[in-house]
Amino acid sequence: MSKLTGKKLVLLGERDGIPSPAMESVFAASGAEVVFAATECFV
Amino acid sequence: MVTAAIKATAYCLNYASELGLHYGTTTYQERKAHPESPFLASLAGAVRPFDAICQYAPHLAYIGAIDTNALEALPRPHLDNPVAQAQRFGEFGEIMPEDEFLGLLDICDVFDLVWLEKGFAASVRPALESHPLLGPEQLKRLGQGREATAITEEVNQRHALPLYYHGAVVGCCRPGHDVDENLSAHVLLENLASKAGAVLALLHLIKNAGMKPDDIDFVVDCSEEAVGDINQRGGGNMAKAIAEIAGCGNASGFDLRAFCAAPVAAIITSASMVACGARKNVAVVSGGSIPKLYMNAREHVKKNVPPMENVLGCFALLLTPDDGTLPVIRLDALGKHTVAAGASPQAVTTALVWEPLQAAGLKFADVDKYAPELHDPEVTVPAGAGNVPEANFKMIAALAVMKGQGEKAAIPDFVRQHGVPGFAPTQGHIPSGVPFLGHAAKAISNGTMQRAMIIGKGSLFLGRLTNLADGASFMVEAPKPAQGSVSRQDVEAVILEVLGDLASRLKG
Repeated sequence: MSKLTGKKLVLLGERDGIPSPAMESVFAASGAEVVFAATECFV
Repeated sequence: MVTAAIKATAYCLNYASELGLHYGTTTYQERKAHPESPFLASLAGAVRPFDAICQYAPHLAYIGAIDTNALEALPRPHLDNPVAQAQRFGEFGEIMPEDEFLGLLDICDVFDLVWLEKGFAASVRPALESHPLLGPEQLKRLGQGREATAITEEVNQRHALPLYYHGAVVGCCRPGHDVDENLSAHVLLENLASKAGAVLALLHLIKNAGMKPDDIDFVVDCSEEAVGDINQRGGGNMAKAIAEIAGCGNASGFDLRAFCAAPVAAIITSASMVACGARKNVAVVSGGSIPKLYMNAREHVKKNVPPMENVLGCFALLLTPDDGTLPVIRLDALGKHTVAAGASPQAVTTALVWEPLQAAGLKFADVDKYAPELHDPEVTVPAGAGNVPEANFKMIAALAVMKGQGEKAAIPDFVRQHGVPGFAPTQGHIPSGVPFLGHAAKAISNGTMQRAMIIGKGSLFLGRLTNLADGASFMVEAPKPAQGSVSRQDVEAVILEVLGDLASRLKG
């Protein structure tokens, strides 16, 4: 059990930084629930 | 090695501040929601005039008035250190003033969509007539103009969009259909602006190549606009429409779209057509994007930073067969981001940088300069998007360390040595590596550079069809000298030499 178990996550990614699918992969086994994930592009 | 040559490049900016104040996405949506918005009032008061635009060093690097080494040596921030002499024209192209650009919109309109007010049309005509690249074929398309009352009627009763200059209505863009939103005045204005910018860049390209318009064989457009009506939104062929106005009677064309990766994808596609002999020469062109004008201005105004997203970016490149003298695009070592590659920065950089280096048998340090997203950091940093090119260079350097080709402590040196300062306007597809191609081709021709890698990345999630990352890359490098053919005289000389040698041995 990690300290994120049972938590809800909102993931905001950036195209030239860390996009949201990459973050979702990182948190996939964390026990947390991703309730919203999006990538934005500001350029 | 399969290659295609870069014969010429052209880069232009269209000063479009008032188009941006009214029809950039940020300003347009704000005006609809809050017509009396304090942000819009502040933005209008902070607009930089045309002369200041022509003194801004990153813009001068874009049009080739200074090179990127000179840009790097200039004091920063460039916003506070304008170059002494404003320059409209550079080695690659120009910065066109907004009144002339509105006139060019009219020239590029073949459906009577753009109406200019009579007095404005008369005032802009002399400027366009004295333009070094606009000939009779283009100038005859500039209308005499309409009465101001007729323009007001179109705006008030027929959904036309007013066009502004110095705060006054000087014309309008009319819709192309009564009910089809794909042919609304707003969509058509965006498409016409992209077309006009690309026409200007193509005219500069033809001049820079020392060719005639009829010499152009094929045109590929890689802008971000969707050209079409309700039954085929994005149907396209902006390219052929551009070629028509530029007088390229022998050209055909098509469009290629891949968000911000489209320019790199279009260059790879066009180089392939040239290399296999399908087309003798191909112009890759793109105009700019009205929606992105003042895209980040809310943050700029909030932080009291001059809003600089007031130019449309456009470019044109001419690809020809490799003749052994011109810089070449290598087609044997292309960066390709696959469906399965992954979206993390490491995965994307591996696909776009490491894998083509592997294919070419090169090391990271063998590439003199990497050109990924070349957004001007003086626009993006105050907006909270960071220094985009620097972030990309750091990732490339970090990957080099992971692959055992550098030390972690040397990452800043790698970034300094192999990076390029960001100098492109935040025009989406425009900054994707391609603005450096003109400088790289020139440096390779001068013998001061051996190789550069051009990297484009696209944001596919914006279209809501996939969350996949995307990108493409290629290397441009010095040509290999052409292998001379062996003549009959060469063969005879060798035979005589051998026979002479044999005879002297027999004598001995």
